[in-house]
Amino acid sequence: MARISSLLWGALTSLKLTIVCLAALMVLVIACTLAQVKLGTFAAVDVYIRSWVVWWDVPGTVYSVPIFPGGALAGLVLGLNLVAAQLSRLELSWGKAGLWVVHAGLILLVAGEFVTGAFQVDTQLAVEEGQTVNFVESPRLLELAVVDVTDPQHDDVYGVPAAMLASRDAIQLPGTPVTLKVRYFMENSELTRRTEADPPPMANQGVGTGITARELPRESRDDVPNLTTVFVEPVAGGKSYGTWMASNALAATQTFTHDGRTYELSLRHQRHYLPYSVTLKDFKHDVYPGTQIPKNFSSLVHISNPGRGEERDVLIYMNQPLRYDGKAFYQASFGKDDRLSILQVVENPGWLLPYISCALVAIGLIVHFGISLRRGMRRRTSPETTTAASGSTAAVEA
Amino acid sequence: MIVNISPNGVPRLWTHMITVAAISLVFAGCKQEEVTHARVPKPSPAPAASSAGAMPPMAAPGGMSGEVPPPPSVSASDAVAWTLPKGWTETRANGGMRYATLKPPVQGKIDVSVITLPGEAGGELANVNRWRGQIGLAPVDEAALAKSRKTVKAPAGTVALYDFTNEGSTPSRMVAGLLVSRGNSWFVKMVGDPGPVASARADFISLLETLRLGPN
Repeated sequence: MARISSLLWGALTSLKLTIVCLAALMVLVIACTLAQVKLGTFAAVDVYIRSWVVWWDVPGTVYSVPIFPGGALAGLVLGLNLVAAQLSRLELSWGKAGLWVVHAGLILLVAGEFVTGAFQVDTQLAVEEGQTVNFVESPRLLELAVVDVTDPQHDDVYGVPAAMLASRDAIQLPGTPVTLKVRYFMENSELTRRTEADPPPMANQGVGTGITARELPRESRDDVPNLTTVFVEPVAGGKSYGTWMASNALAATQTFTHDGRTYELSLRHQRHYLPYSVTLKDFKHDVYPGTQIPKNFSSLVHISNPGRGEERDVLIYMNQPLRYDGKAFYQASFGKDDRLSILQVVENPGWLLPYISCALVAIGLIVHFGISLRRGMRRRTSPETTTAASGSTAAVEA
Repeated sequence: MIVNISPNGVPRLWTHMITVAAISLVFAGCKQEEVTHARVPKPSPAPAASSAGAMPPMAAPGGMSGEVPPPPSVSASDAVAWTLPKGWTETRANGGMRYATLKPPVQGKIDVSVITLPGEAGGELANVNRWRGQIGLAPVDEAALAKSRKTVKAPAGTVALYDFTNEGSTPSRMVAGLLVSRGNSWFVKMVGDPGPVASARADFISLLETLRLGPN
């Protein structure tokens, strides 16, 4: 056992492992770049970089086999290898304190990237002048929203991620008697008005009865969203409420009523509700006089947070985000004749790590410089050094 | 010195810490998809000039170019036409659910839209409750729906007319006509501040009375 531990520790601290990890990461970067042609940027990054293992779908079968370590695994092993190598090679003494701090800063920088990749959530907040919103939306991820609108004061919103719709046959909405049976899921589709030549519609309720959906391959262009379509059958209390079509291309909200409660169905961008609300009071799009060249974009928003008893106005403009409740709100885009402001909302629990790591590296370098300076000064002032120096001078003079 | 060196030279404390860190990272990185639930206040009424009934605007990363393209528009033979009242203007949308945007000659926040959907588009009750939700009103049942419904006769058929006002902290009013013609639902909707909507209401009703089959 001790021998195995020793072997593992030797492997973990090996510089050969460093080279292997770096080579694997280079291969992944190249493969990911090439795969973007077919998968698009975000999907390719998910498959090659933010995965533990790269899988290969065996043609003609339903099986997938692991063929290469993913970026997350290679990065993790590389990080551990760097930590272990430092621990085993760098002498633990006050004289090396500066180098220890510098290395700790570098490792924290790598760890910060890992935390960002694993935990960062990018969303957007689109709000028109005079409008108040209490949610942010994912620009890429979709959800099937089932909203119980019965209560005149509140809505109960159930969000089923599109990934669940793609992988499950039945989904129970927690705290309700409703189960959604997923009849068919199309990640990308084309919708046309149904003609008599089309096959019978899969939906027998709602707007989907007049629309034909044709499945398309996943969209690889980053600026063209997938038109996702799902056919679901709500079942509650043993009763089926028919099969409904929901798609992010359809504006129509469809409803069914069970046991006196009305539920709305729609496929939309995944929402994250906030414990506060944001009202856009004014959006400004300034240009340089006499030109259409943008000078400044700014959003004057009002934050209302009843939980904290907070009511205040904040001006968000370029490079001046609002940092609030763990989120950073950046001015990102605009539209609708300058009445609509779109804020990029970034939630990253590790956003401070790069700053801390840079500070550690700077402090470590200063400490190391101070220690070296002190050592040098001592050497110059010690009697042996002085005598030797005098001797040298005398020899030169002689 | 805090490092505990084992007999074979492996620093035990460090190996334990590295193992724990690695396992924590692996587990932390595994995100489980699950159904979310949130109890939220009713959404605030959309601003009068917003695309009522359309998808919330959402830009693709990097700009506004990624708005979801709309489904195909209604065929010319099934289209519904109207005559604009004096002083009104019209902008025809390039396909999509919003068929046209009309602009009455009144000041203030007001938006008039013509939206078409195939079939019954979820039914009259669902659409009326959706409209009521847009101006912050609670849903109604079939009985209340029948009470609030008025009708307008038009060449294309009978138009169901609804007029709702929210007199809450953000007053707003909506007058909307619903016509089912040749298998399509047509929604002609005017929403905005109560004053401008009241000023344009008579012209809006006269516009509904001109709804007819055929291209504009």
